[in-house]
Amino acid sequence: MRRRRRRANEHGIWYPRWYWPGLASPGALWLLVLFLVPLYTVLAISFGTIDPIFRDAVPIWDPLRWNSAAFIDILHKLAGSHSFLLPPVERTLIYVCAATALCLVIGYPVAYFVARYGGKQRGLLLVLLIAPFWVSYMMRMLAWINLLGSDGWVNRGLQLLHLVPHPINWLAGDPITVVLGLVYGYIPYMILPLFAGLDRIDPALLEAARDLGAGRLHTFLRVTLPMSKQAILAGMVIVTLPMFGDYFTNDLLSGSPRTAMIGNVIDDSVLTPGQGTDAAALVILLTLLLTIPMIYYLRSTAKAMREGV
Amino acid sequence: MDVHPRRGGRAITRRAFLRGALGAAIAVPTAGALLEACATSSESAATVRTSLPLARRNHPVRWPIYKDNPPIKSGLSPERNATLKIYNWADYIYKAVVNDFADHYNCKVEISTFNNTDEALSKLRSGELDFDVMFPTIDILGKMVVSQLVQPLNHSYIPNLTKHVWPAFQDPFYDRGWRYTVPYTIYTTGITWRTDFVPDDIPGMQNPYDIFWDTRYKGKIHLLDDYREAMAMVLLRNGITNVNTTSRRDLSLVSRQLQELARKVDPSLDVSDYTDVPEGKAWIHQAWSGDMVSSQYYMPKGQSPRVIRYWYPPDGRGVIGNDLITVLRSARNPVLAHAFLNYMLSPKAALKNMSWNGYQPPQRSIDPNKLVAQGYIPPTLKSAVVRESDFARGFELLELDPKTDALWHDVWQRFKAG
Amino acid sequence: MQKGIDAAASSISGSSRYLRPGVWLSRRWSSPWRRPLVLGTFTWIYLAWSILPVGIAMLFSFNSGRSRSAWQGFSWRWYFGDPTGSVLHDPTLHAALIQSLRLAGLTTLVAVPLGVLFAIGIDRWRGRAATSLNFLMLLSFVIPELILGVALLFVFSNLFDFIHLGTPAQLLGLITFEISYPVIIVRARMLSLGKELEEAAMDLGAPPTHALRRVLMPMLYPAIFASAVLVFASVIDDFIIVRYLSLDASTEPMSVAIYNTARASPTPALNALASIMVVVSFVAAVVGILTYRWLTKGERGKNDSAAVNLAAQI
Repeated sequence: MRRRRRRANEHGIWYPRWYWPGLASPGALWLLVLFLVPLYTVLAISFGTIDPIFRDAVPIWDPLRWNSAAFIDILHKLAGSHSFLLPPVERTLIYVCAATALCLVIGYPVAYFVARYGGKQRGLLLVLLIAPFWVSYMMRMLAWINLLGSDGWVNRGLQLLHLVPHPINWLAGDPITVVLGLVYGYIPYMILPLFAGLDRIDPALLEAARDLGAGRLHTFLRVTLPMSKQAILAGMVIVTLPMFGDYFTNDLLSGSPRTAMIGNVIDDSVLTPGQGTDAAALVILLTLLLTIPMIYYLRSTAKAMREGV
Repeated sequence: MDVHPRRGGRAITRRAFLRGALGAAIAVPTAGALLEACATSSESAATVRTSLPLARRNHPVRWPIYKDNPPIKSGLSPERNATLKIYNWADYIYKAVVNDFADHYNCKVEISTFNNTDEALSKLRSGELDFDVMFPTIDILGKMVVSQLVQPLNHSYIPNLTKHVWPAFQDPFYDRGWRYTVPYTIYTTGITWRTDFVPDDIPGMQNPYDIFWDTRYKGKIHLLDDYREAMAMVLLRNGITNVNTTSRRDLSLVSRQLQELARKVDPSLDVSDYTDVPEGKAWIHQAWSGDMVSSQYYMPKGQSPRVIRYWYPPDGRGVIGNDLITVLRSARNPVLAHAFLNYMLSPKAALKNMSWNGYQPPQRSIDPNKLVAQGYIPPTLKSAVVRESDFARGFELLELDPKTDALWHDVWQRFKAG
Repeated sequence: MQKGIDAAASSISGSSRYLRPGVWLSRRWSSPWRRPLVLGTFTWIYLAWSILPVGIAMLFSFNSGRSRSAWQGFSWRWYFGDPTGSVLHDPTLHAALIQSLRLAGLTTLVAVPLGVLFAIGIDRWRGRAATSLNFLMLLSFVIPELILGVALLFVFSNLFDFIHLGTPAQLLGLITFEISYPVIIVRARMLSLGKELEEAAMDLGAPPTHALRRVLMPMLYPAIFASAVLVFASVIDDFIIVRYLSLDASTEPMSVAIYNTARASPTPALNALASIMVVVSFVAAVVGILTYRWLTKGERGKNDSAAVNLAAQI
């Protein structure tokens, strides 16, 4: 290509027809083969059969021959006289809702303070807010395992203050520990979008509200809160999505069937002989359940991407 | 890009989004046929197999030797400059013993670990592992032989078996003529507890297994995270000694009682009984005898291991078992692997290994009655000693037919889902 | 700090300056810009809560005893001193560290170029195919990792069974999961840059490939670099995909090693491993931020909030 083949028109530049698709093609091919095909494999397995001896899942690739036994099985496990999947599903919903609400209740004031009153410390505060992003999730859970053990600092502190006679067994099937673990794990992902949203609100608007006689609370309720609605939604979706697929927080901080979440059921089934199709069907159902938040997140990402760096 | 970015850029509008999703939905079925064409290997694997013989004491099995999977020839010398690759449970073999072997045969040894046999089997079947030696349990042996994951042994390389091992294992019911396996360790499954936290006289209870349902120890009760072991315990609690039961009634009883247990005591599930009990994480733990013997080494400094007790039914009617060592078909160093099996059956290596992992080898030179006096087992844990005669009275967890196995797994899934 | 707020407040509200001192003072206490004590205290408590547990865990990696809750003196024992249990000498921990770094490095090397080319291509390529591909890329970004992890495990054990579990499968899986980071960051940067410079270059006679390489690429360096750092750190942190696609102990990276050991009987060596992980990520972050600043020298300021905005999304 020595010379430009065509002139630039008003919308942009004329490159050869294959040029841009050519650039995108390695990544596109990658996504097709290693993202779309795996997702289809889950479908093919959820509608597949089980090997009679080894009991591993055998996919059926042709949709015309699909076998819905696994879905019927899962529906029986979800509802009906012998159902048992309802408790983990309910638990998941309760834990995720509680943890998301807590993330918001704790995260909003923090994000609000840093965005509005950060002042000279703003840089430092931001660094501290972002720091947990760079600490691995497992490390942060390990930190709490150390603190919550029977001879950990939490129990020692409580005993020192004579608040409890015996060490509390935090790490064996306590739903509170699991919810707090989820909050601790995911709250940084909530605070940053909240901060970004609150930071964008023009202080002049707040001033205008004040000038018009609105009190502090009034200003907050009528101006700040409505204007940060998008950020709140985004933050909630961002923490909710991974929480629905979380199983390791529960594994590490509880390990008891009494706090099992839907993620644990999936994780247990994936490698259990004979339950591969179940696992796939559950993954499909989970995906369907999360479609709306996923689309919301997808669109807000597309929007953030357009706003640019 | 239809629009100049500066003039607003392109949004993923709802319409465009739906169009994208729809496009994907239409493209998928066509792709399905394409994928089907590629996926030949897994399809063929599913079709050819017949049923699996199930080994029982009253129905011993002599596994076939397949033409395309013969034993190695006699008289070969071990591979040189080799790296022997071992696939084993975590913390189940003493590294010093392995190093001795490596020094003696001038080779390297690599140990990889698995967390449970389901995982091990599925990874071995994926054909990606080229390990030489694996340590399976009896209940997966049939699948391993039929799918030709293991290779038949050439006895000429393993004289130690007839020389040193208990006669009962010279021709075991699960592998007549020990065509594919040699025994590794023997153990029982029982109840372990801390006398400093649990004042109850567990051996004196009418039904010691009831202790797992005792709400006073809520949060401090652990079960083995192994569906066969945990469910067999519930069967034994109810006097059902067929621990390989195929009865739906038995299994639904187990299911009910496990649910009750989950509701009452918030049990934790793990296989770290050898550390949880000495560290005080668990006060009552369903446990393997060998793990309890080694638990003394995990006691925090300054604390005596005498607070740990182990109960196994004194009449011998409990779960008993032995693990195996096999040479995999994928072995790159089959001769060296045979030498390793032989080495592990030598009295010296077997005893040294036991001094670390706590599990007894079925060696003639080891007198179970002297293990306490010799200091291998603390006197407070003498119930963890396994005798040859125990095998005549105990119950082994053996391979289930796939349908029954699915029922067992269902109960376990139900329990784990809380 | 009060001063800073006052300065900010007065520059915003402006009017208070002209009030008499007494009134100014009384206005000051009811001013909406007063720093709220309760909120501030709450924020600092939150920050302490979010950071101290990790700090304590890191502290105990230097414990000379086995305990992870009783301090027995400072030592490097669990890093390299202990002949069997230290990160340096325990083959499992050692292998985990190496596997993490290997996966992070290789994934970054592949995912970033793939993503950058994809971003440029998709940005200029018109038509339905491009829309669908962009949709697919965004979907791979928002999908919960558990779903993708299970899907990848199934595909590598059924369809692509010629790709071995362990490093090869982990690598392919991670690249799939991470490819959207560079795409999103680079596209955002391209959209804010516009095409003027490139067009100008071509009007001056540069062939398109040159315009791309000499004009566009240098302007994308900060975004490419930022995404490389993000991908690296995110792979170090990854758990679900690497766990499902691991083959045996030698292919389990740090996060999986921590998960496996944390519930059994960890020694402070596990804390040491986790601390090394933290340090690696932080070094990546600091190098990233400094280099990013250096690369965007001269255009700083206007980009800060947009960067936070985008980071928040990711």
